[in-house]
Amino acid sequence: MPYFDSGESLFEKFCKTQVGRAIFRTGIPRNQRQRMMIMLNGVFLHLHPVRLPKHAVKVKYTWCMGGLSFFVFLVLTVTGILLMFYYRPTVEYAYGDIIDLKEQVPLGLMREIHRWGAHLMVVTVWLHMFRVFMTGSYKPPREFNWVIGVILLVLTMLMSFTGYLLPWDQLAIWAITVGSNMAGATPLVGASGPGASLLAIGDVNFITSSSDARFAMLGGRFVGEGALLRFYVLHCIGLPFVMMIFMIVHFWRVRKDGGISGPT
Amino acid sequence: MAESIKHFINFAANPKVLFPCLLILTLFMFPGNDKLLAINKRLGLYKLWTKKGGIFLFSFMLLFFIFGLTDPNFRLIVTKPDNVPIVALLFLVNFFLWLSMKQAWENDARIAKGQPPQEAEDAKEKILVWPDLVYIEFIALILCSALLLAWACALPAPLEEPANPSVSPNPSKAPWYFLGLQEMLVYFDPWLAGVVFPTIIMLGFMCIPFLDNNKKGCGYYTFNERKMAISIFMFLWLVLWIFLMTTGTFLRGPNWNFFGPFEYWDIHKLEALTNINLSEYIYMILLKQPVPENILLREIWGFLALGLYFGLTPILLALTFLKNVFKQLGVLRYSIFTFLLLCALSLPIKMFLRWAFNIKYIVAIPEFFFNI
Amino acid sequence: MNTPVTSSSQSAPVQPPSRPVQKPDDANMDRRSFIKWLPLGWAAFAAVVAGYGTLVLRYLFPNVLFEPKQSFLAGTIDDYTAGEVSERFKERYGVWVVRDSEKIYALSTVCTHLGCTPNWLASEAKFKCPCHGSGFYKTGINFEGPAPRPLERFKIFLADDGEIVVDKTQKFQQEKGEWIDPDSYILA
Repeated sequence: MPYFDSGESLFEKFCKTQVGRAIFRTGIPRNQRQRMMIMLNGVFLHLHPVRLPKHAVKVKYTWCMGGLSFFVFLVLTVTGILLMFYYRPTVEYAYGDIIDLKEQVPLGLMREIHRWGAHLMVVTVWLHMFRVFMTGSYKPPREFNWVIGVILLVLTMLMSFTGYLLPWDQLAIWAITVGSNMAGATPLVGASGPGASLLAIGDVNFITSSSDARFAMLGGRFVGEGALLRFYVLHCIGLPFVMMIFMIVHFWRVRKDGGISGPT
Repeated sequence: MAESIKHFINFAANPKVLFPCLLILTLFMFPGNDKLLAINKRLGLYKLWTKKGGIFLFSFMLLFFIFGLTDPNFRLIVTKPDNVPIVALLFLVNFFLWLSMKQAWENDARIAKGQPPQEAEDAKEKILVWPDLVYIEFIALILCSALLLAWACALPAPLEEPANPSVSPNPSKAPWYFLGLQEMLVYFDPWLAGVVFPTIIMLGFMCIPFLDNNKKGCGYYTFNERKMAISIFMFLWLVLWIFLMTTGTFLRGPNWNFFGPFEYWDIHKLEALTNINLSEYIYMILLKQPVPENILLREIWGFLALGLYFGLTPILLALTFLKNVFKQLGVLRYSIFTFLLLCALSLPIKMFLRWAFNIKYIVAIPEFFFNI
Repeated sequence: MNTPVTSSSQSAPVQPPSRPVQKPDDANMDRRSFIKWLPLGWAAFAAVVAGYGTLVLRYLFPNVLFEPKQSFLAGTIDDYTAGEVSERFKERYGVWVVRDSEKIYALSTVCTHLGCTPNWLASEAKFKCPCHGSGFYKTGINFEGPAPRPLERFKIFLADDGEIVVDKTQKFQQEKGEWIDPDSYILA
């Protein structure tokens, strides 16, 4: 790299001032030691080990799908926060706000990136699972991390599902109507599921359409104001929060279970 | 010429034809035991997992799409903005399937010669994460962002009419990744297809590392050392997941009727959907007597069938086809494994019963919403 | 090593007690009896956690629901002709009012499969659900598609001034034999 070799760059000079040293402890990693130190010193780079066997770096082995899933998650977080500035989760405003996001807000691409990113994340998470299966990486000692991964996969789809309702268009309410009626068919705790009538005492039914699993999900007896608000809160705070926790455990376990899998 | 090809594809795309074909194809493409592997080798099916095979696979898919796009009906379904990711997914899944199987067969050939797999060869060399991995990740992120940005510029996010609770669009579809479940709804009641089966699928996937106690094949691509695991996974993942999802997205039209990829979505397409329950079938058609009033007496045959299916089949399998598996897994693992497998197989079985005998429910107790 | 230990253990009783000497019947709990009480402690902890969980669960179900009115006036009997399926109240209230040769009844517009809204196809004399293709006769009985049971009927009665009132809070299900209930229809 001729650029780095031709004397000190401006950045390198900055790294030697007191401010530069305070921020970038390692400076530009040129020698072996610095390349190790930069991985150890940074909080984000510390996600990775210092060295890896060569196969673990090859794209044809990992497909990069796990890392990309995380990256798309971050993109979705950023675009999602930006969307929240303009979107109001009420039956009266929701649909109009979505149209305004396109027509009245500069850079009307935010919703597109968010929506297509959501699709992309489902795809990358699936392909990541597929790769992990094909390399047998769920085998001991990584069994538990596979379990965490399955939970993350389900959470990804739930995130996408709760986001589906928010535009409040025909596609949204009917997809959620069909989806939430399945919850109403849950055995024992759904009003139209098997066994609900077993929980009655005499003539008093405890599981009715206003006290079953579907109601808890929708906050009402049909997809309306309550459902929109509940899905909004779950989509923006509830599920991402749970997902973060599982992601932390997932990444931690990747390192603790011996890094990326490989032949022993 | 083109018309007759379209007619043939319309006919072949019908789940009644395509689904059994795919099941058989999966059985031979991903042979689960030595016998099937021998057939695979004799037929030369493994050649798909080479460079030439890959070129063949992708030119075939590409040709199919280019040919399809000349047809207005096909174009209408495939270019619907929400369906674009599934078209991309089809190519991606096939590509990565090919990539993983290619490496697996190459490694198998190495192992057969007594060499370690390619990954073990690579792993001898240790490299620093900075700069090697960090830069790969950086490039991957940039490519991914570029893709996402281009996609967002090219396709506006879909937005339909404002919500109207009194008009259901025809057809009403769940988000595309749930369309496999919605396809199950055709054959099972919501409490099974929407609640019990998804739960079993989730728990079943979590069980995989604890059920598969084959020590080999960890950390490198291989097929031969994990034949059975890969074979079952491909059945679950490719056939029951990806294929059913694709069917639900592209081939289900108004009134949830089936439409071939080159067929016009006619709202008035009539399909006889009159189905009967197993109890009616047995009492009215076989025994020629009225269906008994008593619920238990009425549904005893269904319960008997279910009991035999989940109780007796595992024992029979342990004595015959799965003798070695039983020995390797032990009683507990084997019971869970066969239960999950039988649950997964119940979908194709119910499909077959529906297509062949118009069976709606095996056990039908609508009084308690308990229909299987 | 040994000497200091023995000397301290010997000298321990000699030392002036800095705190009261423990007796077995002292109010202070010793280790053994503490362990004896441990299960009770855990049970109490679990009970509190479970109670708190129940409260959170109950929190999801509000006491008052701000939903549209559940009963409405539907005109007089003469507004309906025999054999007609009236769609006047479908959009606002989700109800079809059907009059056949003997009686008038109110059918729910919610498909019993997964809650889509079926369409009344007058030419084929059936309700057809667009979502998964369930079909219902004019009476509400299911005859095709995946719907597991007939459409539900609502309470319907004549007010004192002769107007028809439909009350959606009470429903009648055919498979439970509730359609013979006189509250579920009006004799016309």
